Amino acid sequence: MTQAIEHLNPETLNAFIDDELPTSEQEGVQQHLAGCHQCTLRVLSATQLKAATARAGHRFAPPADALARLTAQLRREPQKTARIYSIRPIAWTALAAALVLAISLIGWRQVHQSNTLSAELLDQHLATLSSAATPQVISTDRHTVKPWFQGRLPFSFNLPDSGALPPDATLKGADLAYLSGQPAALLLFTIHKHQVSVFVIQRTGISDNPAFSRMANNRAGFSIHYAATRDLRFIAVSDVNPADLDLLVSAVVKAQSPG
Amino acid sequence: MFDTLSVPAFVAVAMQPRNPRHTMPSAAAPSVAFEKLALPLLPSLYNHAFWLTRNHAEAEDLVQETFSKALRAFDSFQPNTNFKAWIFRILRNTFLTSRTGIATSRTVFLEDHPDVLDTTDASPTPEDNLIRLDNQAALHAALEQLQPPLREALLLCDVEEVKYKDIALILDVPIGTVMSRISRARRTLRQLLQPQFGEIQ
Repeated sequence: MTQAIEHLNPETLNAFIDDELPTSEQEGVQQHLAGCHQCTLRVLSATQLKAATARAGHRFAPPADALARLTAQLRREPQKTARIYSIRPIAWTALAAALVLAISLIGWRQVHQSNTLSAELLDQHLATLSSAATPQVISTDRHTVKPWFQGRLPFSFNLPDSGALPPDATLKGADLAYLSGQPAALLLFTIHKHQVSVFVIQRTGISDNPAFSRMANNRAGFSIHYAATRDLRFIAVSDVNPADLDLLVSAVVKAQSPG
Repeated sequence: MFDTLSVPAFVAVAMQPRNPRHTMPSAAAPSVAFEKLALPLLPSLYNHAFWLTRNHAEAEDLVQETFSKALRAFDSFQPNTNFKAWIFRILRNTFLTSRTGIATSRTVFLEDHPDVLDTTDASPTPEDNLIRLDNQAALHAALEQLQPPLREALLLCDVEEVKYKDIALILDVPIGTVMSRISRARRTLRQLLQPQFGEIQ
């Protein structure tokens, strides 16, 4: 049965209740509604659903402690920025004294920072060893693993061809990781059945943390090897013998400058 | 002061100024201006972050990271443009690069073809008016069951009262897709609410 009146289609009805229709179309809809009982009921029902969704959607309030922390974050960050610009001349004397102290502290802090970093790396490597941990990409094909990172990392890198890997080294998969708050590609290899985690991070601007280059070479029986290109840093963690680990790191580094 | 190089590319995209000749929102104290704009949105950002992450700790981390990134990039924000859309987009991009976000994005979502708007089911049916909305628990359950991309668009529209064009900006999809997702979300909600007649599932 055909109807004499053309009813409002769902898109128009939605746009009408969301106040998204241009004035000219709005008038047309209102004219239609004046003569169509069915569509008027649909508009009413849709408006009620919209109002109910709005109530139901406002559901998750931050717990008091989270609210306090987030508010404090907003208030603290401005002060931090403002402080940079509010140095008065009288502060220069204090600044000079602070510099002397800072320089002596830097040495201690660098050691401390790199210790924290190597602990973080080792933790992440140990997490990959757990049988319950499956990487987000499971593939031995570099043409599957590399594209997976597109849109997930703010940088790109190359993976060595399986022929360019050291003997008995295999790519197993990859995961997204964070090192010191920076996004990193975590490449998972095996060498003679030993698991190897290779972290790839960007080294640009302030995000290049010099502590990465000062890390201990081993920790808790695991070797930590470090390499860098102009744009990237590579950190490999494994309990395989250090010479094999070096070969793998070199292969990964070499892949960054093909030809 | 703001090291734009340190802003990851995916955030930088979200923050491209609409006008290349941008000015600081407040030359004297941009961060105070940021706080003034961001603080009132804290409950909304948290609520939305929770819908995305389904976890209080992750929601807090997400909002915290959003504030940090947004503040660092605040000099690229155009005064008199929609700050809410701008910061919600940063929130969403930040979520997409989190572990939960990556896991969510691995679920395949079949998009309606944006060019083919949903014109089926145009005639009103009696069921249109039969859904029960007085049962909050049923509506909560129905919202939980919506596919995440549909729910996200609907929440931005109905809860956050963001306009279609700004939802398109936040979700990085064409406006036709926004309309189609909202339409699908509401149709699904109706379908989910119909058989229950006010009963808790």
